[in-house]
Amino acid sequence: MAYKYTLEILAVIAILAFCAMFLYTSATMSGAEFAGSDNAGSGLVAQLSGTPLENFQPLIPQWEPPSGEIEACLFALQAAIGGILVGGVFGFWMGQKKKTESG
Amino acid sequence: MHIMEGFLPWQWCLVWWIVALPCLILGIYQLKKVLAIDRDALPLLGVTGGFIFILSSLKLPSVTGSCSHPTGTGLSTISFGPWITALVCAIVLLFQSLFLAHGGLSVLGANIVSMGIVGPLVGYGIYRLLRDTSINVYITVFLVCAIADLFTYVMTSLELALAYPAATGGVVSSFILFMGIFAITQIPLAIVEGVVLALVFKYIIALKPDILIRLGIFSEKQINAARSEI
Repeated sequence: MAYKYTLEILAVIAILAFCAMFLYTSATMSGAEFAGSDNAGSGLVAQLSGTPLENFQPLIPQWEPPSGEIEACLFALQAAIGGILVGGVFGFWMGQKKKTESG
Repeated sequence: MHIMEGFLPWQWCLVWWIVALPCLILGIYQLKKVLAIDRDALPLLGVTGGFIFILSSLKLPSVTGSCSHPTGTGLSTISFGPWITALVCAIVLLFQSLFLAHGGLSVLGANIVSMGIVGPLVGYGIYRLLRDTSINVYITVFLVCAIADLFTYVMTSLELALAYPAATGGVVSSFILFMGIFAITQIPLAIVEGVVLALVFKYIIALKPDILIRLGIFSEKQINAARSEI
């Protein structure tokens, strides 16, 4: 039990290293816009096919969030659905465990 | 890893839908079977699926100066295999297609194949390879999660390279170009995802070891060793 929190410490180190890497990249890399790699991929598709980006039209009509704010809101909603599932189940399991242990 | 709507010729959309559909049907069949045997599997599906929802919504910056998101498919892959994972991914990707203009209905098949099928399938291969060895459970979970994440992006690169071969060098050189955009960006994200999900697995082991043993995910001996180790 001497290493009870090994994984927690490793996770914190990994996250801190990730943050440090971001700060370093954003400070040193000129022209780093941190846009989505999906869009960079679409840009390369346009380049390889020799078709301008604006000529790519949806095959199936698609609703687009009218603004970045609404998009962020919907992404947060997606994360919230996941959070509720994870938190709910962990709570349920803890309750079950307590019940088994006490009686 | 999203291929955007309209960015894949319809022929390729069709090919990937044809690949994805049988896997989804297999996923539905397997899910019914697992839940009929053990209703306690449902909360585990909730947790593992929940992480796919959370992690695939987080767009994180990376070394290439662009942002990408983890996939979170590793835990579900270990617990339920690649087909049920494909089903959960299909739900997440459908949500993103309909409400976020990330991906789209025509390219949904291609996106399911990369995030829901190929990534988890490679991860599952690693899991099956390491499960019966003496390698620590957490190292197995770390590797499965990180590799399932990374191979999702390798597959996206391949899907795009097949549809858009370069004028000189064809599919191979196009694949290398797409890998430069997708896979390199993903390496640090995959490592962090692996570590974080290994930590989550520790909490699942602490709270509900019996379900992991009953579903045959790891043996009782391995779970007990993992509980006492860390």
